[in-house]
Amino acid sequence: MSVAYDVEFVEREDRDARFLVRGITPAFANGIRRAMLADVPTMAIDTVRFVENSSVMFDEQLALRLGLVPLSTPPEGEFGEDDTVTLSIDVEGPATAYSGDLISSDELVQPADENVPIIDLKDDQRLEAEADAVLDRGKDHAKHQGGVAVGYRHLQRVAAVEDLPEFEDSESRIVRGVIEDDGELVPTSEFDHDLSNRYPGKDVTVEDVPNAFVFHVETDGSFTVEDLVTRAAETIESRATELEDAVQL
Amino acid sequence: MMVPVRCFTCGTVVGEHWEEFDERANEGDEDPEKVLDELGVDRYCCRRMLVSHTDLVDVVSPYQ
Ligand SMILES: [Zn+2]
Repeated sequence: MSVAYDVEFVEREDRDARFLVRGITPAFANGIRRAMLADVPTMAIDTVRFVENSSVMFDEQLALRLGLVPLSTPPEGEFGEDDTVTLSIDVEGPATAYSGDLISSDELVQPADENVPIIDLKDDQRLEAEADAVLDRGKDHAKHQGGVAVGYRHLQRVAAVEDLPEFEDSESRIVRGVIEDDGELVPTSEFDHDLSNRYPGKDVTVEDVPNAFVFHVETDGSFTVEDLVTRAAETIESRATELEDAVQL
Repeated sequence: MMVPVRCFTCGTVVGEHWEEFDERANEGDEDPEKVLDELGVDRYCCRRMLVSHTDLVDVVSPYQ
């Protein structure tokens, strides 16, 4: 592509960010979104061996709950598709087993949230299990989906054209996302998503800025938003390279 | 029975907020709306996971 990309962060936290990308087509924006959901590998528990489970839930129910706990995913290249990391849990009632009770055999793979209740154990109940975590993609199971509620909207350019007639009340005009006002980026949450709060008594025009998209990305804690986006772009690149190689044969 | 680990719709981990939500909004007398806002559970898909949940472990355990 000949147009240079331009990326600008509007809000930025570890697990939650909003950023503007200029110079991409709607198809490419959607490609990135889909790659973030389905193609970035994350660690998650896949096989569980129960030593003892006298809780009120069945083994497979607990295995599902353990699988859904997000695990921190190591930097790329550290693990291959077939490597496993073993985590163990041993809790005796009366107590609640939490995701934080999982003891990992690898420093790099730890529960990202420690406070998720796995199962409430009563007197004389016990949960002892060994679990294998593997690297896989959101395509295969939702527990491997690193990006959560990933989406994008057009950047919207707002301009106050003229004053409303003297006796006309300004009607509320709801816009969500990020607006561009005279080159300045403003998240709509700043004025309660209502343009009549920001431009009282003005007639405003709203138009989509071509090829400018505001992404809103959250992660489940497996990695940071930055990691997720760069890894998503890398998966697209590797698939494109694969295609190129296949075509040349 | 136990609170779901993740939101069925979007996949956010909601389980970690259950105990605080239960303590403040169900057992306590705080406004559930405010508690959810403070916990950072923003989307309504995630909010219904906590609002509509009932813990049944205590009900089931005698029959084990
Ligand atoms: Zn949700």
